[in-house]
Amino acid sequence: MKRLSPDIKHALAAGYVLGTLRGRARSRFDAMAATDGELARFREQWEAFLVPLAGRVAPVAPPSRVWRAIEARIARPRERGATGIWSSLAFWRWIGAGLAAAAVALLVLSFGLRAPVSTEPLLVAVLATPEQVPRIVVEQPREGLLRLRMVKPWPSMQGRDLELWVIPQEGKPRSLGVVPADRDAEVRLAGLEVKLQGGVAFAVSSEPAGGSPTGQPTGKVLCSGAIARGRRA
Amino acid sequence: MPMPLDDADRLASLLAASATGDRQAFAELYRASSAKLFAVSLRIVRERQLAEEVLQDAFVSIWNHAPDYARAKSAPMTWMAAIVRNRSLDVLRRGAREVEDVDEALASVLVDESAAPARDAERAEQKHAIGDCMGELESDQRQSIALAFFHGLTHSELAQHLRRPLGTVKTHIRRGLARLKDCLDRAGVPGHR
Repeated sequence: MKRLSPDIKHALAAGYVLGTLRGRARSRFDAMAATDGELARFREQWEAFLVPLAGRVAPVAPPSRVWRAIEARIARPRERGATGIWSSLAFWRWIGAGLAAAAVALLVLSFGLRAPVSTEPLLVAVLATPEQVPRIVVEQPREGLLRLRMVKPWPSMQGRDLELWVIPQEGKPRSLGVVPADRDAEVRLAGLEVKLQGGVAFAVSSEPAGGSPTGQPTGKVLCSGAIARGRRA
Repeated sequence: MPMPLDDADRLASLLAASATGDRQAFAELYRASSAKLFAVSLRIVRERQLAEEVLQDAFVSIWNHAPDYARAKSAPMTWMAAIVRNRSLDVLRRGAREVEDVDEALASVLVDESAAPARDAERAEQKHAIGDCMGELESDQRQSIALAFFHGLTHSELAQHLRRPLGTVKTHIRRGLARLKDCLDRAGVPGHR
């Protein structure tokens, strides 16, 4: 990604909040702000600047059917301990998109590594941002070991840490520990196989330094991807 | 006397309760803020049906993201209005509306929104520095910024509506925003970390 000057970032953030930044440019901004802390901060500032103006609009009561529809849509209980993002539709859409990315990765692997079957990983997942930018490839070359290949590092985490999670089909995310934001890494954990059991996806969230204080994700999900299991698994 | 809509502490505590799954608090949050937020969306999408959908989606999102609010630095109404505005702008399709409608819709509201002082206690509360700073802008800048903000007009829609060259409109917006930023910086508006 191109490096943008603070002035340009401010101009973009202002256009975003004012509403003149539209369509694809708007989505691109969302994508950039997900990984660029400064840009996200500028957007917050502009929101604090401009959005209070909206308070001047004379209220218009919405019809009661709107609340009834909202009530119906929030009827399902939110999972306790999980933050909103984990139960949000958007999150599961990312997972869905991650599945596509993982399928592509498997395709590439099966092309590239067709001959020596033994090198095929037990599982692979391409963790991509909501905007489908691949950030990390997770592979399991053998039991007890996960290898993380950093496709696109995070330049600055501003004192926060990345935490890797495996998302089971049912139940809460399980932590696989804090991982570096700027380089490849290996995860060796006692009980790794148990944690991975029933896992359908990986996700990486932004957490306070040292990892989530609650044992469950508390911060923004930066990237995620569905797990594709190899033939050996 | 109705309770002020933007009683920030009250809205913040309703949001916090909603974050824990308290549906009653969430219903109260809706009662306290939906008319304002509906109006915000209506101005932008300009179709009741669409604005109702936006409001619905936005409140489901507010419910889902209520636990995130604790980390946000903004006032509760600002946080919620930003969600509604973003959703409204997302559903707007370019060219889907006639510029003629814009003229009619705007004629009556433009002046008071872009320049008039807040009219009652509730608004005074929310007036914020932004009102004063808007007043410092040149009228062309203020008009362009208000049209874009309240009605979701793009640069080219602004140019058509104001019958000005696109470049001129862009300049007004850019300079207006720069002046706003200076003014708000001076006023020490919250939102800075």
